[in-house]
Parts: sequence; C-alpha cells; structure tokens
Amino acid sequence: MRSVAVVFVVYLVMIVAGLAYAITLGLQGH
Amino acid sequence: MPRWLKANGLSIAFGVIFIASLVGQAISGHTDFNHDQHIHHGDPISLWHYVTSAVFWVDVMENWQSEYLQFTLYIFVTVWLLQQGSNESKPPGDEGPETDEQQLLGKHTKAESPGWAKAGGLRTRIYSNSLLLVMGTIWLLSWFAQSVTGRVIFNAEQLDHQSSPVSWATYITTSDFWNRTLQNWQSEFLAVGSMAILTVYLRQRGSPESKPVGSPHSTTGAEG
Repeated sequence: MRSVAVVFVVYLVMIVAGLAYAITLGLQGH
Repeated sequence: MPRWLKANGLSIAFGVIFIASLVGQAISGHTDFNHDQHIHHGDPISLWHYVTSAVFWVDVMENWQSEYLQFTLYIFVTVWLLQQGSNESKPPGDEGPETDEQQLLGKHTKAESPGWAKAGGLRTRIYSNSLLLVMGTIWLLSWFAQSVTGRVIFNAEQLDHQSSPVSWATYITTSDFWNRTLQNWQSEFLAVGSMAILTVYLRQRGSPESKPVGSPHSTTGAEG
C-alpha cells in the first residue's frame, strides 16, 4: 500500500501545482 | 514487472499518457500560435514563453474543469438517480446514501476501516463525502483558473482591436467564457449519458466498467 499512497500524493501534487500556476498566471495578467 | 508498478498500473499508465498529451498539446499549440502570428505579421514566441502564457493554460484549464465537473456530477447524481440495466447504476431500492450496514459505518466498521470512518460525528460525515468534496473543489478551482486565464487572452484581443479591457465579473458573462465552457460540458455529458445507457446492452469482457458478458440486460449494477 505504500507505493499506492505515493501515487495518490503525486496525483494531488500534480493537480494542485497545475491549478496554482494557472490561477497565479491569470491573476497576474500574463 | 516490479510489484509497485503492477499495483499502480492504471494510475501510472494514465499519468504517463496525460504528461505525453500535455507535451504534445504544448508543441502543437506553440506551432499553431506562431503560424497565427506569422499570418498576422506578428513576432513568433519561444516554446517556453508559450507554455508559461495564459494562451496555453486557458486551453488546459477549460478541459480540466469539464472533466472534473463530469466526475463530480456523476458521483453526486448516481447516489440518487438510477438507470435500469446499467453497470453504472445502483440497483433499484438503493437510492440515497444507503444504510450504515451497507456503508460499513457505526457498529458495522471493520478493524481495517479508515480512521475517519470509525471516528463518528463530523469527521465521518466529512469523510463520507470526501471524494465529492475534493473532485468538486478541483472542478471549481479549474473553472476559476479558466476564467482568469481566459480574461487575459480576451483583454489582449480587446486591446489589439482598440477596445477596452473588461473586469473579471464582466468576462464571466461574455460569450467567449461560456463558449469555452459549454463546448467542453456538452461532450462530457454526452459521454457520461452514453456510458450509463450503452452498458445496459453492450459488454466488454474483463472490464469492471462492464457487466459480465453473460449478465442479463435487466441486471442493474455490477453486483446486481
């Protein structure tokens, strides 16, 4: 189950990073 | 094949084709953007400039939001609505949040049940809806990201054509925002509706997305 938890975290990090970057970009007006 | 790879094959395979498609989108989107610049006598931009611009990210986010809306809605709606004969539906009589016995809650929890399922009270209520809450939050944040990046592109075009830029509140009422939104939603809803009804009569041997091949058309739900 350890590797499953790692994949779970990788997915969440990937999603949060994408959202955070896009929102920052949009709010900064680039 | 290593054990960790076999245990995570589905998530890793989709993660890999996600990254590959995103890279493909970046390369083809960049080429397309520069082609557009060329025919409008503009300067080409670098690939790095393109992938760090709102032009690229609005396209990524409008697709993300529609996918997460699709799953959010499907998770929520399938609690209450049924489709007779569908693998994607619960059997008749199971509408709603179901009993504690069916959901392994209260005195029906097991030793290996998640901590928040055993905790009771608010923690169990939150955990009971955690999938919907997280998928719904990702949907709303990606839709918001689409709106702020979309506004940047919209305003750049406004300025190019000597028109005034618009506020975020105005942008979300524009046809540009709703065209980007609804063109993605319509395809998601058609695909989900298709899955609900096609699994009544069609089968894929070995897939959990299908009923067993010999299962009667009238059987509703995988365990029905």
